[in-house]
Amino acid sequence: MEDSVIITIDGLVKKFPMGKSEFTALKGIDLRFSQGEFAGFVGPSGSGKTTMLNIIGSLDIPSSGQVTVLDHSIGSLTQKDAANLRKRNLGFIFQSYNLFAVHTVYENIEFPLLLLNYSAAERKKMVTEAMEWLGLTDKIKSKPPQLSGGECQRVAIARAMVKRPSLVLADEPTANLDAANSHNILKSMEQLNREFRTTFLFATHDDKVISYLRRKISLEDGRVAKDETISN
Amino acid sequence: MKLAIKMAYRNLVGAGLRTWLNVIVLSFSFLVIIWMKGIITGWDHQAKVDMTNWEIGEGQYWQEDYDPYDPFTFTDSHAPIPPEFSEEIANGTMEPVLIAQGTIYPQGRLQSVMVRGIDPKQTIFMLPAGKLDTVVAGAIPAIIGSGMAKNLKMEAGDRVMVQWRDADGTFDASEVCITEVFTVNVPAVDQGQLYLPLDTLQSMLGLKGEATIVTYDNSEVSRPLVDGWVHKSKTELTSAVDELIRVKTAGTSFLYIILITLAMLAIFDTQVLSIFRRQKEIGTYIALGYTRRQVVGLFTVEGTMYAVLAALLSAAYGLPFLAWQARVGWTMPMDASEFGMAIAQTLYPVYSAGLVAGTVLIIMTVTALVSYWPSRRIAKMNPTEALRGRIQ
Repeated sequence: MEDSVIITIDGLVKKFPMGKSEFTALKGIDLRFSQGEFAGFVGPSGSGKTTMLNIIGSLDIPSSGQVTVLDHSIGSLTQKDAANLRKRNLGFIFQSYNLFAVHTVYENIEFPLLLLNYSAAERKKMVTEAMEWLGLTDKIKSKPPQLSGGECQRVAIARAMVKRPSLVLADEPTANLDAANSHNILKSMEQLNREFRTTFLFATHDDKVISYLRRKISLEDGRVAKDETISN
Repeated sequence: MKLAIKMAYRNLVGAGLRTWLNVIVLSFSFLVIIWMKGIITGWDHQAKVDMTNWEIGEGQYWQEDYDPYDPFTFTDSHAPIPPEFSEEIANGTMEPVLIAQGTIYPQGRLQSVMVRGIDPKQTIFMLPAGKLDTVVAGAIPAIIGSGMAKNLKMEAGDRVMVQWRDADGTFDASEVCITEVFTVNVPAVDQGQLYLPLDTLQSMLGLKGEATIVTYDNSEVSRPLVDGWVHKSKTELTSAVDELIRVKTAGTSFLYIILITLAMLAIFDTQVLSIFRRQKEIGTYIALGYTRRQVVGLFTVEGTMYAVLAALLSAAYGLPFLAWQARVGWTMPMDASEFGMAIAQTLYPVYSAGLVAGTVLIIMTVTALVSYWPSRRIAKMNPTEALRGRIQ
């Protein structure tokens, strides 16, 4: 099922300043990810999961080592190039949804398409499709404060998927959801992964998420402790 | 830019009541600034109008020795009224005034006054000269301003002894009766001025047919040069007031800047609070593909849009208010004469297109700046920190 490599990570080290000293969050990571993977970084808090996603998502840069995402070397991207990479190829799903509270569901999902200068007709078609995938058609005019946690996360997934990105990065996407909602969300993401061959990378320590992963990379103290492929 | 405008509009409309509260406060600032500056401009304008109506008309001829700033010239600064002015004086479009020094003794005290003789039938000045036609037994009818009446504790009907020196240098005295106390905002017309009928004063001084000043009310008429008389145009006569206004304008501009700064502080505060409260949102914009410059642009446009909406709202309710104020004026709740300066009880604001456009432009520019600065600062931060809402 998986094919071409879209992410290569070689000798990734990430250090953060802590007062006068430094804290090393990632200590020499080497990994490859292919198109269509449904993989996740798992491990306890502070193991470096979110830092990995931030660097792959070009929101942060490596202290040393090489990270290449869709042929872009993250460490040497300008701010504008990094913004372009995120705008065109990456989708983000956050633990606390990060929806625009004053915008409607439709406007939230439409935002990435506005950035990509799609015409109004194209935007309408794509947003409507995304809302149908996630079962949000009856919430078109609602605003995030009027939605449940599960609905908010579905809006966030629709926003991440609407532009059909190559890669979706999801940081603890089920942390604020109950079990039923978590399974619904994960099923939706799995379905989108299979349908559009979008690569999904998770950072999680939630067993429900882990049970859906086809590849599980266990991080411990900034290192890869185990990298296992799970056959479903 | 188009995207920034679209997003800013959505953010403002989406924020609902919060947006409208900001817009209402800002629109109120617009209105107060324009109204207050209008009142101050109106006050300046009124000073010139009152001076014209009460003191200088549209211009004057001065006897060549007359110097209003040197009382020693008054004794000799008189001359026969030029025959060239006779026709206009007869028509009431020119008015001779005779000025002399005198002393009055209200309640046994001594007070130097400038005695001015004016025609009771004159119409050029707003002075209630008709009251000088009152027949008073055993006294000369006189009128005084309310400021002087207050200082001397006098009122209409009071009698007071006036002493003067005639053309031959002989001192003489007579009793005058105050037939009217008038209210005026021009100190030079009020303080230390005692008005008597022109004919009477001419007789008292032995200067029949003479005057110190001849005032006209039409500057369009061409008049010949008259030997022994110096022409003073309205521009020359108001030059001191113009200079005063120029100096005062610098002071009022300072007040204008303070008012604008106060309005801007409110906007700045709102924007800083809003931007720091919205740092997660800013992090999300960046994660979804906004550049930092686009984030700064969005918040700057958003701030400026507040000013645009405020200007529109101000226009909606402010224009009728400003127009109404210009018509009925603003009457001060206390006696303006208590202030010790020339100020009318009712001030009529005067607004110029420059004032309105300038205020709108300045507020929009400064609003854009106070929106730009904090968003620039937050957009510089690490997006991962912004996403977590950790920026302090």
